Amino acid sequence: MLTRLMRNEGVWLFTRSPAAILAAIATLAIVAGAAFAPWIAPTNPYDLASFSLIDGLLPPAWEDGGSPRFLLGTDDQGRDMLSSILYGARLSLSIAAMAMAVALLLGVGLGLAAGYLGGRFDAIVMRIADVQLALPAILTALLIDGISRGILPREMHDDLRVTVITLAIALSLWVNFARTARASVFVERSKDYVSAAIMMGQHPLRIMLRHILPNIVGPLLVIATVDLASAILLEATLSFLGVGLPADSPSLGTLIRIGMQYLLSGEWWILWIPTVFLVVLVVAINLLGDFLRDLFNPGMR
Amino acid sequence: MFRTTFPVAALALSTTLLSSLPVAAETFRWAGTTDPQTMDPHAVNAAPVLSFLNNVYEGLVRRDPEMGVEPSLATSWEALPDGAGWRFTLREGVTFHDGSEFNADDVIFSYERAVSEASDVRSWFASVTEVVRVDDFTVDFVTTAPNPLFPGSIANFMILDSGWAAENGADLPARDAENHATRNANGTGPFMLAARNPGIETRLVPNENWWDTAGHNVTEAIFTPIGNPATGLAALLSGEIDFISPIPLQDAEQVEERDGFEVLAGLETRVIMLGFGHDHDSLLYSEETTGANPFHDPRVRRAVAQAIDVETIDRVIMRGAAEPASQLVPAGLSGYSDDHADRPDYDPDAARALLDEAGYGDGFSFGLMCPNDRYINDEAVCRAVASMLARIGVEANVNAMPVRGYWDELRADNFDMYLLGWSPGTFDAEHPIRFLAHTPTERLGTWNFGGYSNQRIDALLAPIQSEVDPAARQAMLDEVAGILQEDVAYVPLYTQPLIWAMQENVDVVQRPDDFFMLRWVTVN
Repeated sequence: MLTRLMRNEGVWLFTRSPAAILAAIATLAIVAGAAFAPWIAPTNPYDLASFSLIDGLLPPAWEDGGSPRFLLGTDDQGRDMLSSILYGARLSLSIAAMAMAVALLLGVGLGLAAGYLGGRFDAIVMRIADVQLALPAILTALLIDGISRGILPREMHDDLRVTVITLAIALSLWVNFARTARASVFVERSKDYVSAAIMMGQHPLRIMLRHILPNIVGPLLVIATVDLASAILLEATLSFLGVGLPADSPSLGTLIRIGMQYLLSGEWWILWIPTVFLVVLVVAINLLGDFLRDLFNPGMR
Repeated sequence: MFRTTFPVAALALSTTLLSSLPVAAETFRWAGTTDPQTMDPHAVNAAPVLSFLNNVYEGLVRRDPEMGVEPSLATSWEALPDGAGWRFTLREGVTFHDGSEFNADDVIFSYERAVSEASDVRSWFASVTEVVRVDDFTVDFVTTAPNPLFPGSIANFMILDSGWAAENGADLPARDAENHATRNANGTGPFMLAARNPGIETRLVPNENWWDTAGHNVTEAIFTPIGNPATGLAALLSGEIDFISPIPLQDAEQVEERDGFEVLAGLETRVIMLGFGHDHDSLLYSEETTGANPFHDPRVRRAVAQAIDVETIDRVIMRGAAEPASQLVPAGLSGYSDDHADRPDYDPDAARALLDEAGYGDGFSFGLMCPNDRYINDEAVCRAVASMLARIGVEANVNAMPVRGYWDELRADNFDMYLLGWSPGTFDAEHPIRFLAHTPTERLGTWNFGGYSNQRIDALLAPIQSEVDPAARQAMLDEVAGILQEDVAYVPLYTQPLIWAMQENVDVVQRPDDFFMLRWVTVN
C-alpha cells in the first residue's frame, strides 16, 4: 500500500518538498480551526453576553497582566482574540471559498464555451475579460459594493453584505479562469480524441464537459488555489477599508481594521495577531499553489 | 518595540498623497474628525459647525477663554425696564468681509433668518417675541419674560450681511438642500473663507479689516477633516498638520512622550447619554416585540441605566479620561444639581429584577443608533453598551453610521434608542432642558428626538429662564434634574474628555466647549 502510494508521482513529490508539507499542515490546521470554531473557540465572539468590557485590553497570556483565560489577549470590548480570529477566519475562508466557486463556475463556463465555439461569442467574452483585466480587482469589488449600496435600501444591504462581497470578489477573479480554460480548450480542441468525439456526432456540451474539461483540470486547480489566496486578501482589504463586514461580525480584515487604532498605543496584539494569522494563511495557500503548479507543469520542474 | 516610526510613515502616506502642496511656514493646518456640514451659521446647530464658523462670523457677544461673556458686535447691553427684554448697542465702523457696513438691519435680518422655519437654531430665541430697531446701532430684543441669561445665551447667534444674503438668494438657511450660504460666507469675524471644498479642505485667510486687534499670527489656516483618528495622529506626527482634535485616547501618553509634540487634555462640557424613543408606539428594530415599546415603562429605562457599567467604560474605552455623569450637564456647571449627583448604581441583578417586574423578564431586542465619527470612541461605547445590556437579556442591534446622515435618521425617528452628546452652548443647566427635556414644539425641545414630555418640566422652563434669584432658580433646576432622574428620561453616561494635540511650537487656548478659536493661535 505504502509503496503504491509512494509510486504515485504527486505524493512522492510532496514528501520531497518540506515547504509544501509545512504549507499543507498550516492550511489544514487553520481550515480545521475555522471549520470547527464553534466547538473549539473558548468563547463565541458574536454572543454579546459572552464577553465583558471588564476584561477589555488584556495582553496575551504570556505577557505581564495577561490571563490564562485569554490566550491571545482581548480587544477593546473584552472579546477573546483567539475566538475572534477563529470565527474571523471562518468567515474569511467561507467568503473566499464561495467567491472562488462562483468565479470558477462563471470563468470556466465562459472560457470553455468561448474556446470551443470560437467566433463572435469568443470575441465578445474575451473583450469583456480584457476590460475586466484592466480594472484592478479591488476597484471592481469597491464598484460593486458601492453600486449595491446605492440601489439597495440600507437594511437590505446590511443583510446582503456577505452576498455582495462574495459576488464582488467573484466578479474580479473570473477572468483568470476564463482565459486559462479558453487557452486550454484551444490546445485540446485540435487533438484526435476531440475530433473523434465530434465525428461520432456527440453534442457540443457533452464534448466540452465530458471530454475537454477533465483534461484541463490541472491548470485550473493551480489557479483556483492561488486565487483562493487572492480572494482571502481581497476580502481582508475590503473589510479593512470598511466596505466589508461590520465590526460585530468581524472577518480577519475587520479585525485588522479595528486593531489599526492600537498601532501606536502599545496594545500590539490587537493588530499583530490577526495580521500574522492572515499572512500565514495566505502564504501557506500560495505555497500549496506553487507546489500544484510544479506538479501539473512538469516543464517547470 | 513596536513603536518604531515605520508604521507611522506608512500610515501617513495616504494623506500625504492627498495634499502634496508645499507647506509654507506661516500656514496653520489643523484637523478634526468631522467636517462642518455647512458654512451657514443658522442651518445646523452642531458644535463642529458653530465652532468653525465662530472664526468667520461673529455674534453680538462672544465668550473669552474662561467662557465669560464679552462684547463683540455689541459694545454694551442692558436689560429693558420691567424685564421686557434686552437692549444691545452695536459696534460702529464694523464691515463685513465683502466691505459692506454692519448695522441694526443686519441684526434684525439675521434674527428673522435664525427663527425662520428652515433654521436649526430657533430655540435660542424661544423667549423672544420680536427684535426692534431703535436706531442704526441700537436694537431691542423683546422677550416674553425677564431673561437674565439671555445675552450669554446668544453668543453663537452669528450675524449675516442682509444685502449679501438677499443678493445671493440665501435669505433663508438651507438645512437639507444647499444655497449660496452653504458654501460661501460673509461675516465680520477675524478670518475670511477663501476656499471651501466640503469633506476635503477649507481654507481661511485673516481679515485685515477686523475691528478687534488680532492676537494670532496666522497668515493662512487650512482645515482638513480626517475621519480616522489614527490617520489624523499620523498626520500630526509626520508634521503634515499642526493641530488636531481629538487624538485617540490610547495614544495620548505616547504623543506626550515624543519630542516636539504637546497634548492638551481636559474635560469638555459635553455629556454623552442614551436617549429613548419615548413617543414611539412600537419598536422599529425588534424581531419579537412588535406593537409595543418597552421603553415606555420607566422601570425598563431604569433597568438600562443600572445595567451599564460606566466606570468600566471610562476605564477601558475612555482610558480613565472621562467622568461619569448623573445629569444632562457635567458636575460643576452653572445650574448643576448637587442634590442629584448620584448615578443609579451599576447593578445587573437589580436591572434584571426591574425587567421582570415590567413583564420583560425574557428580554427583548431593539435598535441602538449610534454615530461612529462624532464623539470620542462613540461606536466602541455603543458596542460596550450592547454587550452590557446583553447580560440582562436585552439585545441591542447597534447601527453605527457617520454623523453625516445621523441627525437625519434621528429626526426621521428611525431609532429605538440612540446615543447623543450634549454640550450646553450657554454653559448653564437651562440649555439642555430647553433642547432635550421640553416637549418638542416649534422652537423648544428641538433636539428631543424621542419626544420625552413632562408637563411639570415644561411648566418650569419659563420660570427658570426668568428667575433672577439664584437660590430660587437653583431650586427649580434641582426639581427638573430630579424628575429627569426619576423618569430616566435619558441615561447620562459620562462627561467627554477633551484631548487636543499639536506641534510644540503652536500655542492655542482650550475652551471647555471644544471650540477651536483661530484668533488665539500663535505659531512660534
